[in-house]
Amino acid sequence: MSSAVGRGLGSPVAGAVVGAMPGGGGLAAKMGDYAIDLAHVAKTYAGRRKVKALRGIEMRVHRGEVFGLLGPNGAGKSTLVKILMTVIRPTECRGAMLGDPVGRKETLGRVGYLAEHHRFPDYLTGAQVLDYFGAMAKVGRVDRRRRVPELLELVGMKDWAGQKIKSYSKGMRQRVGIAQALMNDPDLILLDEPTDGVDPVGRRDIRNVLSHLKSRGKTVFLNSHLLSELEMVCDRVAILVQGVVSKQGTLDELTRDRQRYEIEVVGEGEQVEGVYRAALPTGVLREGSLVLPGQVAGAGGAAGVAPSGGSALAGTAAARRVGLHGALATGEWLEIERGTLRVGTSDAGRIQPILDALRARGAIIKSVRSIRPSLEDLFMEAVTDPTTGEVLRPGAAGGAGGAADGPRNEGSL
Amino acid sequence: MLIQTWAIFLDAYRELNSKKLFWITMVLSGLCVALFAAVGIDETSPTILWLHLRFIPVNSEIIPPSLLYKLLFVNLGLGVWLTWIATILALISTAPVFPDMVASGAIETVLSKPISRTRLFLTKYAAGLLFVTLQVAVFTVACFLVIGIRGGAWEPGLLLAIPIVVIFFSYLFAVCAVLGLITRSTIAALLLTILFWFFLYLFNLADAVLVSIREQTSVEIESRVEAISRAEAGTTEAIIGQMREAGQEVPEGFVPTAEQVNLTNPFIAGMRTENVEAQSGLEQLSWWTGLLYWVKTPLPKTGETVQLMERVIVDAAELDAAQTAADADREAQEAQGRPRRGQNRDQVEAGRRTEAVFKARSAWWVMGTSLGFEAVVLAFGAWRFKRRDF
Repeated sequence: MSSAVGRGLGSPVAGAVVGAMPGGGGLAAKMGDYAIDLAHVAKTYAGRRKVKALRGIEMRVHRGEVFGLLGPNGAGKSTLVKILMTVIRPTECRGAMLGDPVGRKETLGRVGYLAEHHRFPDYLTGAQVLDYFGAMAKVGRVDRRRRVPELLELVGMKDWAGQKIKSYSKGMRQRVGIAQALMNDPDLILLDEPTDGVDPVGRRDIRNVLSHLKSRGKTVFLNSHLLSELEMVCDRVAILVQGVVSKQGTLDELTRDRQRYEIEVVGEGEQVEGVYRAALPTGVLREGSLVLPGQVAGAGGAAGVAPSGGSALAGTAAARRVGLHGALATGEWLEIERGTLRVGTSDAGRIQPILDALRARGAIIKSVRSIRPSLEDLFMEAVTDPTTGEVLRPGAAGGAGGAADGPRNEGSL
Repeated sequence: MLIQTWAIFLDAYRELNSKKLFWITMVLSGLCVALFAAVGIDETSPTILWLHLRFIPVNSEIIPPSLLYKLLFVNLGLGVWLTWIATILALISTAPVFPDMVASGAIETVLSKPISRTRLFLTKYAAGLLFVTLQVAVFTVACFLVIGIRGGAWEPGLLLAIPIVVIFFSYLFAVCAVLGLITRSTIAALLLTILFWFFLYLFNLADAVLVSIREQTSVEIESRVEAISRAEAGTTEAIIGQMREAGQEVPEGFVPTAEQVNLTNPFIAGMRTENVEAQSGLEQLSWWTGLLYWVKTPLPKTGETVQLMERVIVDAAELDAAQTAADADREAQEAQGRPRRGQNRDQVEAGRRTEAVFKARSAWWVMGTSLGFEAVVLAFGAWRFKRRDF
């Protein structure tokens, strides 16, 4: 191991940093709270051209939650997961997994892992794969005999238990892979692209397995680029861009200031606009352009959200002109576009005076909808360069090259 | 701890079991044993099944059946089948073990288990030796039974072939494993290993040839020295005779001068010159054989490891008895006026001495240094495996 790794792994630094995490609490309490607690994880692939795959990851996964790691290709997602699973040696690592320093082999006995693009020995049957990897995870023979049929049943592969892996479809391999990761009844399960190559029925089944695990108090760490999948199951997410965590939190936390209400009244064009103008206090609305975050290319037009106050995204290529915009006295932004009034709040109480005013002016309210930006909106926002509006290329901005999901072995030996 | 080791061995067995080549090798092994059992010898000539091979001038009096089987086992069963053909088949079967293990998609799951990389590498290596162990064990036990039943000699020492061949194969497999780990390619690992093996064979061959020439030269020098001293004695007598004939008085302890000797027998000078040249040749040969010995010391000694087996199971006394019987047979044939076959006495002596040189190399030197090489290669492999990202 390199000296950097030596410093990072198994040293008192890891624990000390964990203890010093923001949010207070003693060392023991913090370790108890988090299944994964990373203070600083960095990986540079050595070689002719140094590649900074991870540039200091700081991330926390609570015990008992389903956590999603998102990021574009080349963001370093798989590198991070592989570091946690000791497949890749970090250049620097301060952090803990299940209370132990990252890199400790014994801890892996309490962790289950489904690798991306995994290939199990094709001369084994599904049941033998489970038995073999169960034994490798130090599960005793009696427990293995009991768990193999149980888990094959759980992932819907019981009827295929005696068939060779080589006769399996991609989806079936994925199911067996998940069962394999559960052989040691792990406290923490890391699944790298678990729904890769799986049909919709299979995906639903996998989601059910995840719910089952969560109900049993297991922590699930999902690495996926299928945002809709993650959105359905994850309690918390982190978005990894160019080797750093760009955002992390619950979906609610991440979208709170981007939630809005959309109000529609019966009527057409300018007539409707007049109704809105009349209902809103004088001087609130102004003509002009307003830049909205989330309205970038490919992000889906209906999901646009406006900034609260000054936007860091001012000037994005996707900015568009809107007819009328403004802000309420309480600070919420407003805009009127194509007969729809949008109010930047998640608080239903804040729109009641507007609804009252509209009714008082005889307007017939057609719909009031609470809109929350999707994970895709958050994702696109995270991976878009605010200055150019273009999707960021894989790799560290201003760094010495591209980040990568895969290792660059030639330089790392 | 043992759960994982057992799992890796069971997996290695399942992998072998799934390979056609494993079973093909097993069947070929069976055929070899069947052929072995078909060969026999009686008081007239060697036999194959019911056919008498009368053109081969040996019989059970010269070579007793037990010795024949042991010689066949050592020279063909061990020397050709196990250490060449079966070894190549075993290398082909086991070369993919490490490239497959470190293949993208396969290695991640294994590394994510609570087992250290060093232990994983070494256990996987040991499990890879299972192929050869199973093959050699089956073949050797079958041969043991054939020698016992057909030859009437129950030789438990024969079973030593199992560890010896496994150790021999382990030198090559260590190289193949590390190459497979580094190149991640089965073909590259296999070809480079066979190339390495070929170089070892060349070193061994050069060693054997040079030592044999050295011993031959040395025997020639010795017999020439003998011939010179015989010729000198004869010449001295002749000179004394001449002197007496000429009426000269010959003092007690008279020694003729070199000039006198050369004048009387000019061949002696020629022989002396030849010996001086041969001596300088011998010195050069000794230098080269010494160099080869030191070059070979740190390298695995594949050939010599297998030859250790011959030392164990073929009793020198038995061989000598066979040799004596063969000599007696030859002399009998000569007495009947048939032409003398075989080598002259010098060649036989040189052969014996060459054999003695190789036998003088201790089992410790042969196996100890080879295993030392293997340990270094494996340590290097484990170190690379430990440091590698996948």
